[in-house]
Amino acid sequence: MDLKYIGNSINRVDAYSKVTGKALYPQDLYYENMAFGKTLRSEHPFAKIKIDTSEAELIPGVLKIFTHKDIPNNEHGVLHKDQQIFCDKIVRRIGDPIAFVVAESEKICEVAIKKIKVEYDILEPIFDPIEAMKDDSIKIHGNSNILYHYKLRRGDALKALEDSYFVANNTYRTHSVDQAFLQPEAGIGYVDDDNKVTVVVATQYPHYDREEIAYCLNIPMESVRVLNTNVGGAFGGREDITLQVHLALAAKTLNRVVKCVYSREESFLAHSKRHAIIMKYSTGVDKDGFLTAIKAEIIGDTGAYASWGDNVMRKAGVHATGPYEVKNVMIDSYAVYTNNPYAGAMRGFGATQVAVAYEQQMDIIASELKISPVEIRLKNILRVGSYTATGQLLNNSVPLEQCLKSISE
Amino acid sequence: MIKRGKGIAISYYGTGYGNGYPDVSNTKIKLNKEGKVEIFVGGTEVGQGAKTVFLQIAAETLNTSIDDIILFSEDTSIMPDAGTAAASRQTYNTGNAIKKACEELSIKLKLIAKEILNLNTTEGLIVSNSSIYLSFYEEKKVSFLDIAKYLGENLLIIESNFIAQTVEMDLETGQGAPYWPYTFSACEVEVEVNTLTGVVNILSAKFAQDTGKAVNPNMIEGQMDGGFCMGLGFSLFEDLNIINGRIKNDKLSKYLIPTSMDTVDIEKIIIEDPEFTGPYGAKGIGEPVTIPVAPAILNAIYDAINVRITDLPATPDKIVMAIKKDSKAEDKNGKID
Repeated sequence: MDLKYIGNSINRVDAYSKVTGKALYPQDLYYENMAFGKTLRSEHPFAKIKIDTSEAELIPGVLKIFTHKDIPNNEHGVLHKDQQIFCDKIVRRIGDPIAFVVAESEKICEVAIKKIKVEYDILEPIFDPIEAMKDDSIKIHGNSNILYHYKLRRGDALKALEDSYFVANNTYRTHSVDQAFLQPEAGIGYVDDDNKVTVVVATQYPHYDREEIAYCLNIPMESVRVLNTNVGGAFGGREDITLQVHLALAAKTLNRVVKCVYSREESFLAHSKRHAIIMKYSTGVDKDGFLTAIKAEIIGDTGAYASWGDNVMRKAGVHATGPYEVKNVMIDSYAVYTNNPYAGAMRGFGATQVAVAYEQQMDIIASELKISPVEIRLKNILRVGSYTATGQLLNNSVPLEQCLKSISE
Repeated sequence: MIKRGKGIAISYYGTGYGNGYPDVSNTKIKLNKEGKVEIFVGGTEVGQGAKTVFLQIAAETLNTSIDDIILFSEDTSIMPDAGTAAASRQTYNTGNAIKKACEELSIKLKLIAKEILNLNTTEGLIVSNSSIYLSFYEEKKVSFLDIAKYLGENLLIIESNFIAQTVEMDLETGQGAPYWPYTFSACEVEVEVNTLTGVVNILSAKFAQDTGKAVNPNMIEGQMDGGFCMGLGFSLFEDLNIINGRIKNDKLSKYLIPTSMDTVDIEKIIIEDPEFTGPYGAKGIGEPVTIPVAPAILNAIYDAINVRITDLPATPDKIVMAIKKDSKAEDKNGKID
């Protein structure tokens, strides 16, 4: 096909405004008579709480201190509504939002936040996902800390491992990291001329933010407007809401323009992390270098809240074999609650972590068989006509051999 | 002692929400009174290049300059929901929705052109540069502006969507077709490891990325540079240092992300093998570009020092400790316990 615009490296349409500093982010917006908001967050990873805002409310310039009492529907979350806009009885991680102070200036917000009394009745926290999986562990939500278990079964992996010429048995651990986008969260809330509750924010999914704001404020979706500014990077870290509902609630209640800007430190507390994952692998191979079986137990620490935990650990499980044809596969992938910072979406979404395991396994096998890393891969890679471990036929566009050869020749 | 090593890694990545969950991108396009095409779509520009890609796909489909197409993607009160800017799905999903809408617009525009030009059929009509003409008799020509004037207040509006096809997996066996399409990557890294300090330097890197069809090669190379840096930070330095639930490294002076001094001029190879279901064959590459980087670096470290780091990040102290531990061990053939 003769293409004119596709395949053409035209300049990004947003390049000029970004490189000249003209592009606006929520931090850059100022309105007359604007109020400011600041979030009070939990200091403890697991505790029962009692909140007393009475002294803080008396400080001149404080407009209102919002807590769980002020929000019609307090629960939110992208998959499971297991997070609270403002914690009412229990905090489950350091950084859980408890109150949102709105005042005439940021300085007054800071003074008032220190005057809010939070009584913490400390509970025993749990930080190790393997401990958290045990039946007798302390439960963070409901009856089990196992949020999700994905099972993949193809052929007979146990028998195939037994019959293998060589089996590499190793455990890999990846840690929790942050998306570290350059623009920390910020936003502005106001009620627009059409009486719509409007939130100006940088987000990955404005329509979903609108849905959560409408639900939490208990107003129709049509009464909410999300204006997405330029976004200073996201990488998964702007999937879950942070300050959106706080701003919408404050703007609607006070009928004022309210602005909130997170510091870098608060940004680290506010959004999701990459899942830290423990990956126990057994990879079997025959004497000619063809994979016989892969068995893996993959345990993802989803922290205090689910966020995208189920989907991340499902994606980790589906991609656990790597891009190889394997007839016998047994994968168990888990998302487990702990009192760590909550984990959610980040570039690669579970598939990034399992590559650390399956690709080191391939090199270990190659070294055992005394063949090159390229050769072991060429023997086993997916091609057009291959089936994946989930039984899916790859019927077109599988240029993996081309990718591999182009970096290794 | 300075030791050098090379490592490779390959990876694949399934696009989209997956597992049978409805993965929908909606779009609305309008011919405005000035004869320009307006596209309303909720897909977010997060820096990945969505705005540019959407306009390139629309321009290609309407055979019309990008300057004559206006994109609105910031206000939920005017734009339809195109799903999240995640899962490497915007080019594939929303790109397909925009292509479909523009194709429908072309058909409608040709029907109106037929009326205005007093023709018997739309056969032989060509859409080009904001106008429509008869390919073998160019005197029969009408501009988008003329069509807009002809329509007056009855603005031409097309609403369209694209839904990705996936099949939910069986709960017991995990069998099914959870993602589509799959995108493939390969990376080779050469490193230098200082066995005394444990510091790893990247000497060179090659990255090959399957794109299906590259919509904008420069932007894809930009993603490859960025994805490499993210994988580099993940494998060598980024560490939240979470102790008893508390993030100790909560500022960029402690949470170390790579700078341009840490990376190299990567040899970037774009692989094209059009995907049947993609817009002009294109697939999403936003996430795939980071996936093979960490294992390629770890394999290169092993090649250099004959010690395998299985616990990320591979910080200098961990590498020094692993070398010391390994020098005590008898079995040095690469097996680890």
